[in-house]
Amino acid sequence: MFKIKFIAQKELWHILRDPRSLIIAILMPIVMTLLYGYAINLDIKNIKLAIIDFDKTSTSSDLMGRFYNSGYFSEVTNPVSINNPEMILKKGQANAVLIIRPGLGEAIQKLKSMRNIASVSVDNYELGLIVDGSDANMAAAAGSYSSIVVSQVIKDNLPLGFEMPGIKISRQVLYNPDLKSSHFFVPGLIAIILMMISALLTSVTIAREKESGTMEQLLTTPITPRQIIIGKTLPYVGLAILDGFLVLGFGVFYFGVPFIGSTLLLFVFGVIYVIAALAIGIFISTIVKTQQLAMMGAMMVTVLPSVMLSGFIFEIKNMPLVLQIITYIVPARYFLLIVRGIMLKGSGIGLLWVEAAFLIALAIVLLSVATKLFKLRVS
Amino acid sequence: MIQTILALMKKELYQVIRDRNMLRLIFISPIIQLLVLGYAINTDVKKIDTAVYDFDRSSLSREYIKAKTAGDYFVISSENPTVLDAELGFKENLYTAALIIPNDFSENFTKKKPVEVGLLIDGSNANSASITSGYAEMIAMQFNRRQLAIPEPIVMRQQMLYNPESESVYFMVPGIVAVLITMITAMLSSMAIVREREIGTLEQLMVTPITVPALIIGKTIPFAILGFLEMSIALLFGVLWFGIPFAGSWTLLYGLTFIYLFTTLGVGLFISTVTQTQQQAMFYTWFFSIFAILTSGFFSPIVNMPEAVQYITYLNPLRYYMIIVRGIMMKGATVEALYPEIIAMIIFGIVIFTSSWLRYSKRVS
Repeated sequence: MFKIKFIAQKELWHILRDPRSLIIAILMPIVMTLLYGYAINLDIKNIKLAIIDFDKTSTSSDLMGRFYNSGYFSEVTNPVSINNPEMILKKGQANAVLIIRPGLGEAIQKLKSMRNIASVSVDNYELGLIVDGSDANMAAAAGSYSSIVVSQVIKDNLPLGFEMPGIKISRQVLYNPDLKSSHFFVPGLIAIILMMISALLTSVTIAREKESGTMEQLLTTPITPRQIIIGKTLPYVGLAILDGFLVLGFGVFYFGVPFIGSTLLLFVFGVIYVIAALAIGIFISTIVKTQQLAMMGAMMVTVLPSVMLSGFIFEIKNMPLVLQIITYIVPARYFLLIVRGIMLKGSGIGLLWVEAAFLIALAIVLLSVATKLFKLRVS
Repeated sequence: MIQTILALMKKELYQVIRDRNMLRLIFISPIIQLLVLGYAINTDVKKIDTAVYDFDRSSLSREYIKAKTAGDYFVISSENPTVLDAELGFKENLYTAALIIPNDFSENFTKKKPVEVGLLIDGSNANSASITSGYAEMIAMQFNRRQLAIPEPIVMRQQMLYNPESESVYFMVPGIVAVLITMITAMLSSMAIVREREIGTLEQLMVTPITVPALIIGKTIPFAILGFLEMSIALLFGVLWFGIPFAGSWTLLYGLTFIYLFTTLGVGLFISTVTQTQQQAMFYTWFFSIFAILTSGFFSPIVNMPEAVQYITYLNPLRYYMIIVRGIMMKGATVEALYPEIIAMIIFGIVIFTSSWLRYSKRVS
């Protein structure tokens, strides 16, 4: 115990002596929360729309106003060329170009004087929409938002007392009624930060001892390899947990992410998750010799899968089967479901026990493999 | 001068090649990353797990449910569950949407009256939630149109340019290529000089007649070469494996990549002038990479960000390069369309290189 404390103290000194790294380790989670909270906003708004108006009537300028005031589109003033809509898209000036051909005024007039549904003429008026398809999501949004605006225009110009028949969707959103992306990202970010700090830093710190040759010196002392590992990783566990709380606090108090469930439960799972992450870090550091390699390796096996294959941003069920199978060995996958369940839905252990069991099993397997390998390499 | 630079370059390249693990990481990792990312990055929302509560149980309601699941957007994961508490299923992640069809559905519908259908959505993932509701609206609109035969007074004819199949992978793979070379080149160059300092060989280099510019050039060009190799592997893989169309000019892309690499290598160099250890350098580069990726428009469009963040993105070289790569590959963009981005990159490169040169000279003396 005393020896572990000694190693941990030495490592703590290493961290504290280097205030620049420490500042980054503390600033990074805050900046990441800010960036993810603000920068990653997947709801598509402000689609840049250029409108070429050949109708030039009060009706067409009314339609333009409808588009720009809908909240979905932002105005593109002075498009480069009104005769070549493609150049507008190529230059990236706009994501979509709406072309209002002459005759909109008459079409609306016809609509207003309609007696019943069947009296609408078949030779209807056509609006043109040219969409930049490079970003498939943006393109789909541009198309569907335009239809929403147009159908609203039609509805508003129907004669009094006239109601469109058929199905209307009345929607109710649970858990996140304002549809804020930050509610989704902040819990996920806790999983990413914990993984990054624990796996990345521990793998680098063990590799550093190897690179500078001090590992042999440590091993010749009466301290056992297990004590070295525990001692070296403990300060980083502390740092990771501190960072986790930073993200959590920032998310809850700054972005207003709800925290419905139990803090204690989250903390317990957080510690189990950190143990799994540390095991991966130790595993990497036993294989590599240099800090550079340790860092790049840690990035490859921990950070990227945690971001990409955990459901953090991209849904697992949309992935091809092979990748879906791989996600089962990514600890972040389970922790993510746990964090989101506890924070957003207030789920308890009764609903989360499957994820919990997987996470615990994964942590145990990883840790025993890592320590075995470390001992093997040492002797 | 030329000879010393060449000697330095050779040494640097040797150092990378000698380390088998490093070499593997540099050349195999882009392929793995491209494969994983190309398949994993899928922002299309499809196969939404849905619970259906059909209180009408008529042929019309069944037809509506069929229409709902026809387009691969909705998948029914539980039909008429006996438990009436829909929320439990949301908590257990059994489904993310629940459709509630009232018992007067077919009666009102056939009378051409408005009918309200309830849709409960799990809002945890804001993006999927709003897309889910959009799909539901769209399907309802089509169903109305077909069943009630309503003619439309105004229709929208839509034409999609550049990516008519709406493949998100065509958009993401060029982005991944840009991200990969940013991370690799910045990382390698930031750690190269710091490593010499940490091991103590930097002093030895300093006492040789190598000048500061020669040192900087000799240390960065090998990484530029590696960056080019890496990009070529990733691009070839993207084109051959994912079938990404390449609309523009390869020469233009490589030329502009050359300019871009100077900005990332410059950032790496600058980091190596302000750090003491490899760990610090790694941390700083990490910080830069995350900032660069998130504010580049790689995941989500810049126009969606708050205004303050949008201004910050102008300081990000990857923002410009992202537009360039995607523009050239997908739209066949030319210099005429891309010159603002090119100028911005050149300015960034000059500023970052001179400042790291100045910092070096100060350190040396």
